[in-house]
Amino acid sequence: MQRKKGILLLAAPCAIVLLVLFIIPMVYVLVSTLREDGLKYFVKFLTDTFYLKILWDTILISVEATAICLLVGYPVAYFLARTKSKIKNLLLIATVFPFLVSAVVRAYGWMVVLGQNGLLNQFLQAVGLIDKPLEIMYTYKAVLIGVVHLLLPYMILSITSVIQSIDENIEYAANSLGASPVQTFLKVTLPLSTPGIVSGCILVFTLSMTSYVTPKLLGGVKFRMMSTMVNQEVNVNFNWGFASAISYILLFCILVFQIVATMATSGTLKRLGGAKNA
Amino acid sequence: MRKKEKGRVSPLPVVVTVLAYFFILLPLVVVILASFSPTPVLKFPPEEISFKWYANIFSTSGKFVSGFVNSIVIALVATVIDIFLGVTACLSVSKYNFKLKNVLVNFFTSPMFIPSITFAFVLLQLFSGIKGMPAWSKILIGHIVIILPYIVRNTLAILSSFDWTLEDAAASLGAGPVTTFFKVTLPVIKPGVMAGALLAFLYSFDEAVVSSFLTNAKFSTLPVRILNYMEFSFDPTIAAISTILILGSLALMLIMERVVGLDMFLKT
Repeated sequence: MQRKKGILLLAAPCAIVLLVLFIIPMVYVLVSTLREDGLKYFVKFLTDTFYLKILWDTILISVEATAICLLVGYPVAYFLARTKSKIKNLLLIATVFPFLVSAVVRAYGWMVVLGQNGLLNQFLQAVGLIDKPLEIMYTYKAVLIGVVHLLLPYMILSITSVIQSIDENIEYAANSLGASPVQTFLKVTLPLSTPGIVSGCILVFTLSMTSYVTPKLLGGVKFRMMSTMVNQEVNVNFNWGFASAISYILLFCILVFQIVATMATSGTLKRLGGAKNA
Repeated sequence: MRKKEKGRVSPLPVVVTVLAYFFILLPLVVVILASFSPTPVLKFPPEEISFKWYANIFSTSGKFVSGFVNSIVIALVATVIDIFLGVTACLSVSKYNFKLKNVLVNFFTSPMFIPSITFAFVLLQLFSGIKGMPAWSKILIGHIVIILPYIVRNTLAILSSFDWTLEDAAASLGAGPVTTFFKVTLPVIKPGVMAGALLAFLYSFDEAVVSSFLTNAKFSTLPVRILNYMEFSFDPTIAAISTILILGSLALMLIMERVVGLDMFLKT
């Protein structure tokens, strides 16, 4: 009894704050949108190929960003986890420190690099590879570069932490039993690092789907994602009903993804057994 | 032989690592270079060094200084409130095992699973029905919710290795629950709480989505002021202020490495 009271008393402040400031508003705005406009704006979104294309682009760019982060991040994580050199700490600082720099600043950096008179175009023209400046800003490519830059550190850290906890002696054992380095990697290291890959991919995909500052600055009005569409409807078209529908469609996609990803991967992780707590 | 093999990494990861860090650091280095550019468009290599964009930070209509102060105050207040909310919440789910434990943990970290843009819109819609509410209170409410999971996760992580018999020992020696918490539990879990608080503070300080939806002309945070400034002009004043933020983050990073270590970022 005493115990129950203690739990309730300690959980109450946080639970009340989250209920009042988070859960109830989230439900209230959805209900009031449905009451005012019914499913009108949800139908508008889901039947117009213009809007469906934006949802598709958002998913596509997130899938690509996740794939690139994984392909680049894995070797980096492997290096970070296994190197004994002093450079490791320096690289760890270089990985974590962009985390602490605002997305606004990082997107601005890419604007200076990728712009019409940006460093990349200056360089390519000076070398003589192109005659006319490339149009990269405000395209799919610019946003993809920005999102990968934003999220690569998350992937690196997720995978590094798991590889670090794999006992190196297992790799030596495989080696001494005659496995080549490639075989050892494919049959031992890679499977054991699955938990890091899974959590890194879920994280990067989710954060990419919901990123706002990066597509706003690097995509502008020419390349839109779901989040910048919400902004467009709120601040330019003043159609709050539609903005609400887009917000909740995005939320729905994220929740479905989270649930499916958790269910699909829990099976795989269970089969790996001991590696789960790695 | 084996000793020698240890710690050697094959060339492929090394090459990818070099390229990856070039990519990660490139835009940050470029911003720093641009801030010293004498011309509005960065020319490479730069012909001379100029500090005029730094002076511009204080003289333009961008109101960066007040934005900076606002960001610090919002982040500080939200973090302090969330330390209280987060630590009490974590204590409630850490000591005992009970049926709804996992549900509660997921509930306490739930703001993490929601797109910021959705929550930003919800608050905008909600507050539009309440007249006379100052912008700072709207932004503060938003930040209290979205940074909470950072403190909860880090505090839970450190509590999971806490030895609860220490509390029983204190209690059997006559200490009340409150004394026990402040004299026994808190000193042990402090590093985890501080790490979470630091991340939460930085997240709030850098946050631009919720803030930009709830701001007004009178009260705004630094990231929003930067975003708004960029809509009208693209001169290196932004580079100058970004450089200060980058160097600030770097300094903080080095302090963190010395004081708490970077292992907190390497947790699954």
